[in-house]
Amino acid sequence: MDLRVIEQQDTELTIEIAGEDHTFMNVLKGALLELDDVAAATYDQNPEQSGGQTEPVLTLKTEGAKPLDCLEQGATLVDEQMNEFRTAFENAR
Amino acid sequence: MATDFDVEFIEDTEREARFLVRGITPAFANGIRRAILADVPTLSIDTVRFVENSSVLFDEVLALRMGLVPLTTPEGEFDEDDTVTLAIDVEGPATAYSGDLVSPDPQVEPADENIPLIELKDGQRLEAEAEAKLGRGRDHAKFQGGVAVGYRHLQHVEVGDDASEYGEDEAQIVRGVIEDGDELVATSEFGHDLTNRYPGKEVTVEDVPNAFVFHVESDGSMPVDELVLRAVDTLSTRADELREKVSL
Amino acid sequence: MSYKCSRCKRDVELDAYGGVRCPYCGHRVLLKERSRDVKEVDVQ
Repeated sequence: MDLRVIEQQDTELTIEIAGEDHTFMNVLKGALLELDDVAAATYDQNPEQSGGQTEPVLTLKTEGAKPLDCLEQGATLVDEQMNEFRTAFENAR
Repeated sequence: MATDFDVEFIEDTEREARFLVRGITPAFANGIRRAILADVPTLSIDTVRFVENSSVLFDEVLALRMGLVPLTTPEGEFDEDDTVTLAIDVEGPATAYSGDLVSPDPQVEPADENIPLIELKDGQRLEAEAEAKLGRGRDHAKFQGGVAVGYRHLQHVEVGDDASEYGEDEAQIVRGVIEDGDELVATSEFGHDLTNRYPGKEVTVEDVPNAFVFHVESDGSMPVDELVLRAVDTLSTRADELREKVSL
Repeated sequence: MSYKCSRCKRDVELDAYGGVRCPYCGHRVLLKERSRDVKEVDVQ
């Protein structure tokens, strides 16, 4: 996973997350949208044939919070949810 | 955030499982499904050295057939570049099966022993060394640990009034798992047809929001529960990595 | 190069002058034998 900030403003962030695909990006996007501080979150991943940018690009708009902080919170939330799922799954057996 | 997951098993065997998860978002469910298919590392044969192959198939074709044989993959025992070398030596007339692959490590064996590789006629012989390595489903389908992995919404069934006597006598097909009160019933128990379970009744079926029934089948590389948990691990590892890199 | 005559099944060595013909029985169909080298193949 290699991060490259493409554009950064007070409440907006465009960042490339190289090496990831829909598997992680969509989970991350879903988690980001659950955060109260996040106004909009989306990602774009071009197919191989389109040429040019094929690594996923995440775009994030916040309601005033620092976007990088939100991204960190989003990642934490994904991790938490995964751990919760793991616990629930193990307990169910 | 109160995302309390509630997991309930409907079917649970070594190779196949069906479980209900409540409180899960579609994004999360799809992430797990995709991770099971493409991100759980398993061992598969990647290079084959043919000492003798007088069978009717080309070396390349036989190598592919060996590569597709699922090998048991113990958790945490292997790193990315580790290899296991299996040997095979079969002389015709006989059929060479996956079970003829001899492994030096009892933890790494063909998951099934009855997969035919090639039928050898009189005088034909197959002798080869096969090197297995760790890989992921996104690189080659032979590394997929999960087969037929998917999920469906849980269906909530509400039984209404008696159906009109002269109404249409049509089957009402539902596939997956239904929720009838507190009871979870796999639709296969009543032939996937609601009119079998509730004869002469009006029934309405609705998707239960954020409740998905997963169906996971393992190719034998590892038990299903381990497969699911390892998939979850790959996702949380990535979330960890992202958090660390962002917080720098 | 070693070949095998398809009629008399004998091993045949060919040189540059003899042409494609079995020196034992004159048959013109020769089969190339598989090399005894170990062949490494990538699974793909």
